[in-house]
Amino acid sequence: MEDNTEELENAFKEYSVAEFFKKNRQMLGYSGETRSLTTIVHEYVTNSLDACEDAKILPDIGVEVDALNARPKKTVIGEGDGSATEFDLEEQMCKASLFEVLVNGIKQKRPEEYVVKYGKRGKQNVKQVVFRQPPAEGTKIVGEWAIGHIRVTVEDNGTGLPQSKVGQALGMLLAGTKFHQQKQKRGQQGIGAAYATLFAQITTGKPTDFKTGTGNNKVYSGQVSIDVKKNVPVINGLQEAKGNYRGLKVSAEFAEVSYDRSDHGVYEYLRRTALANPHAQITLVEPDKSIVVFPRASDKIPAKPPKIKPHPLGLTTSDLIDMASVTSARKLSSFLSSDFTRISDDKANELSKLLPEIDFDKHPRKMSWVEAESIVHTFHRVKFNAPDLNTLRPIGAIQLEKSLKNLLEPEFLSVIQRKPKVFRGGIPFLVEVAVAYGGKAGAPSTSKEGEVMRFANRVPLLFDAGNCAITQAVKNVDWNRYNLKNLDEQPVSVFINFVSVHVPYTGAGKLAISAEEEIVSEIRMGLMDAARKVGYYLSGLKKAEDQEKRRKIFFKYIKEVAAALHDVTGKPKAGLEAAMRKIAESKTALKDEDEQEDEELLALEEDAEKEVEEENA
Amino acid sequence: MTAHELKKEKRIQEIIQKIDALGLELVKELEAGENPSLEIPIRGSSNIYFDEKNRKIRLGDKVSHRYLFNVSHARKFMQTMLVASYVKKDLLENNLTATLRDLYYAKKHTIEGTKEDTIDEQTESDQAIVDFEVALGTFRERLHLRAEPKGRMAGEMTVVDHVRDKSDRINLAKMGSGGWAVPSIVEQVEFDNVGVEYVLVAEKNAIFDRLNEDGYWMKNKCLLMTTAGQAARGARRLLQRLSDELKLPVYCLTDSDPYGWYIYSTMKYGSMALAHESERLGCEKMHFLGMSTTDIETYDLKSVTIKAKEVDVKRATEMKNYDWFKSKPWQDEIDLFLKKRLKAEIQALSSKNLQYISKTYLPEKIAAQDFLP
Repeated sequence: MEDNTEELENAFKEYSVAEFFKKNRQMLGYSGETRSLTTIVHEYVTNSLDACEDAKILPDIGVEVDALNARPKKTVIGEGDGSATEFDLEEQMCKASLFEVLVNGIKQKRPEEYVVKYGKRGKQNVKQVVFRQPPAEGTKIVGEWAIGHIRVTVEDNGTGLPQSKVGQALGMLLAGTKFHQQKQKRGQQGIGAAYATLFAQITTGKPTDFKTGTGNNKVYSGQVSIDVKKNVPVINGLQEAKGNYRGLKVSAEFAEVSYDRSDHGVYEYLRRTALANPHAQITLVEPDKSIVVFPRASDKIPAKPPKIKPHPLGLTTSDLIDMASVTSARKLSSFLSSDFTRISDDKANELSKLLPEIDFDKHPRKMSWVEAESIVHTFHRVKFNAPDLNTLRPIGAIQLEKSLKNLLEPEFLSVIQRKPKVFRGGIPFLVEVAVAYGGKAGAPSTSKEGEVMRFANRVPLLFDAGNCAITQAVKNVDWNRYNLKNLDEQPVSVFINFVSVHVPYTGAGKLAISAEEEIVSEIRMGLMDAARKVGYYLSGLKKAEDQEKRRKIFFKYIKEVAAALHDVTGKPKAGLEAAMRKIAESKTALKDEDEQEDEELLALEEDAEKEVEEENA
Repeated sequence: MTAHELKKEKRIQEIIQKIDALGLELVKELEAGENPSLEIPIRGSSNIYFDEKNRKIRLGDKVSHRYLFNVSHARKFMQTMLVASYVKKDLLENNLTATLRDLYYAKKHTIEGTKEDTIDEQTESDQAIVDFEVALGTFRERLHLRAEPKGRMAGEMTVVDHVRDKSDRINLAKMGSGGWAVPSIVEQVEFDNVGVEYVLVAEKNAIFDRLNEDGYWMKNKCLLMTTAGQAARGARRLLQRLSDELKLPVYCLTDSDPYGWYIYSTMKYGSMALAHESERLGCEKMHFLGMSTTDIETYDLKSVTIKAKEVDVKRATEMKNYDWFKSKPWQDEIDLFLKKRLKAEIQALSSKNLQYISKTYLPEKIAAQDFLP
């Protein structure tokens, strides 16, 4: 009987895990070549950051993205005629993992000189190269591309994995420790490094290399893959060596991914991760071997967030499924009352009455997606106590300031940390906002100047901006009032970190924060606080600029006036000039009231002149 | 040195002294560490009034101070100083005259160390000249600056014109079909052998040519003049002198429309633009002979009228409110125009016959003294 149950469970798992990935690839972040690569790096890097934080280690993370293309092909895309800016790409080239555009042999910069876009040719979707300036007449436009694999290697100096845990961490789906102890964690966003292992396996058939040590003078290395049928890790070529190594290095080869520096790419992801994690040092080696270092800004390791169980109001359907897959509870009812905060036996009972069609005595792992969905829905019909307010862990104004100064070297920076608020009647959250002006602030990877960087619990949100509460809040601010009209065209970086144990994502993909009224309004307030200070700074600048202008105007005419006055009075020019310079210097200071009166008079005069002109016309 | 030359020399010295005083005042301000400024009467309707007693458009006493060290004044201040230097050093001290355009070119150059020119457009230097005139309380002829000459004359009279050290006697009865061109500066002109009883000034060249060909001025003992449109300063000053010095009545002949009235009023009362010079340009004894709106009826010209345009009506409505058009005959004239909305050119009289104007219209009007004030 016991064996039978286990068999059934295995069968269920086999089916669900394999299907789950195939069906939900999009939701898990594996859609689009650029995004898939960002997701892979995200999984590895968040694990690394969490591992370091757990052990109170200052993270030192290396990311290397290597294009494994021996010989790229060259294909003529078109010829410039001085006006055309769009050129279609062949389908094969679209799928290339490496793609460069050359005009008369000169490599073009992306996205400064061109972008790759989806366009329509009749009913067909085509990918196109779109130049910002039309290539000159007669120029040859060539695509250099290669369909190949990309190797991603991430190495950290964290706790490392004991030999026994390697398989679980990298080769077992839904085995993550993150669902046992809910706390405000980055990993809440990710689905796990094991998915990256699976993705490598599916796209290239190759296992993932690892090397790890916990500092006990033993270093393990080998290759891990997943037995998809059984959802168990398979480790090959395990080697043990002696060495003083602590940390984890993971390296895997992927296809159906591509690297670029767009604002959805790995570069931008790491840049923003570095901004939100001032205690981390991140190094990126790009496919062309350029090395980018995002240096550490602070030696202060963030405090550990307290462990708490998830609150029912903060859950999504996939969270519930994921948690059910790892729970030790045997019944749905006990799973709910034991694995969540604020769900008492009574509340679980109340839920079951609201959902008579669901058998609350069944094993949690037998809960279907549809059932999980109705349970999540029904959570909102039951009154739960609010979660503990004391669980929020923001980056902190001081740390954030250090970080932004370190990476953006702005001319002016304003950082605001708002007080905690609640949404959905009880879930605590807080908002951190920074507005950086000048220096390196502004979007480095797009043609736009201004950038809005969205974060949820320090994790950069790079996709689906349109549906996000943050984007909406940004739109609701009248930037004009702060001398920041047309935000897109200003050298500005706007940084928003949404902090909460339960981030209300709009979907399982965890890309955007649900635009709920309390949230949008709170973010907007934060933005306005921060922008106000920038506005003051900018209006000060304007004053100084005015002063400089006045100075220029005053000094400009001195020689002319001195020469004329010399002609009229015969007094020596030099003396006249010197006297004028002295007065000009003192008059350069800000406008006094006299001058304002004069201006009124002048306006009167100008009106009069206009009248006269009209009269003469 | 002739008496005339002495007088002229004295005038030049007066102006030079005024300019010196202005310059020394600026130097004094500079030495005291003050922001140097020029006191300039404000021109424009806010500072213009109609002097009922003397029947002249005049400038009020509102003044503005133009400072060198004021963002919005600096450039104008500099330009005004350029005018001062040019007038004193280049013109007065050498006893030379120049046109406004001469000054513009003489003083236009790129300011050292900048990409900016001292003067961009001639309107800027023209403006600076007027500023300088009013600041000194004088007029541009005294500064030896000439406007474009305009206007011609014919009649039984001799003018004596002094050009530097030369004097020319010109018999205006012997000027042929073109007439004598009125110079832009007429201060130096003297009148002799005056054989006329009145002055007839027409706004149009065509009327002058018609009347000259008909020998109108010979038969009617008048001095015939054309202003060729809006009267130039030279013509206006000359009219004033003819009226004041020779006590000749002056009759004005324009089209029957608001623009014609305006040309008349400028000669008679002065203009807003040159309100500071009304004193020496206004010819307050001038009469408006025609064409009046009533003339259209009287002389049965209805068939050759032109419909008034929107802009004419607007102009007439504005002029109705001017203090110098407040007399009853003018108010009636304007009202009649606004009612009928018809304009007529002087040439409309040619619809009768070519010499109707010289043989019928003018003699009748003058005999009846049928004028507007």
